[in-house]
Amino acid sequence: MYLISDQQIDFILDDLEAGGIGTESLRYDLLDHICVIIEQNLEEGEDFEQFYRSAVRTFYREQLREIEQETALLLTLKNRLVLSRNRFFFLLFTLIGGPFIAYTVTGMISPSPTAGWNIPFHVWAPSFVYSIFPILILLVLYLTPDRLDPVIPWKSKVVIGFRPFIQVVSFP
Amino acid sequence: MYSTELLKGTLKTIILKLLADNKKMYGYEITQKVKELTMDRIQITEGALYPTLHALEADGFVTTETEFIGKRIRKYYSLSPTGKTKAREKVKELASFIETMISLLDIKQKLA
Repeated sequence: MYLISDQQIDFILDDLEAGGIGTESLRYDLLDHICVIIEQNLEEGEDFEQFYRSAVRTFYREQLREIEQETALLLTLKNRLVLSRNRFFFLLFTLIGGPFIAYTVTGMISPSPTAGWNIPFHVWAPSFVYSIFPILILLVLYLTPDRLDPVIPWKSKVVIGFRPFIQVVSFP
Repeated sequence: MYSTELLKGTLKTIILKLLADNKKMYGYEITQKVKELTMDRIQITEGALYPTLHALEADGFVTTETEFIGKRIRKYYSLSPTGKTKAREKVKELASFIETMISLLDIKQKLA
């Protein structure tokens, strides 16, 4: 059985931290896991760092920090509503534009002389702005994800709950 | 090997049941036990295991105790009293779900 030195343990801990595993208990969980894999599979004379890199690579899809983010997400999500970025904007725009659209529809079907397609300007103009304009913004956000990322990054989730009411959990 | 999507909803149940049967386990031990019991057909990834264990701990379903092995720390996970109840509930729920799926997909008839 391969014996891991203290320097190698420090190396693994530093590498995990540099890779985005900021939570200490999670880092120590992963450290122990990696150490067992190395102890049971690494042969004497084999390259430690190369073996470590290939072992830890099987832990994630794209980046090591996914484990930290998944943990943070699961701990944050209790009794909260999690929305993708597009769904969040859809909900937001529905809340903003919905009343105006409902007002327009009511104006169209009401028995007043202005009913039908003859909708007064003060009714259709705000409806247009508050429904079409947000849809255009959503389209721009969808087509240019990199340029409009600072507020709600592309792969982030919007968590709605209580204290804080809205939280953006990012996936860089 | 089953798809990640298929396993995602059952991971908590798998972990809770293993801890119910084995008193206390550490992360690596859990992954190996699952591999052994399923003859390698289910492999829990580290990226799914530890976030779930931490979430179960935060929910109060599992408790932990640590052991120092030289410079590193091994964390053993075991069920809390509420975790034991939860494990029974989850296994019962999954068993019922599997029965429903068998009936829904008409699997019994095809197997016969």
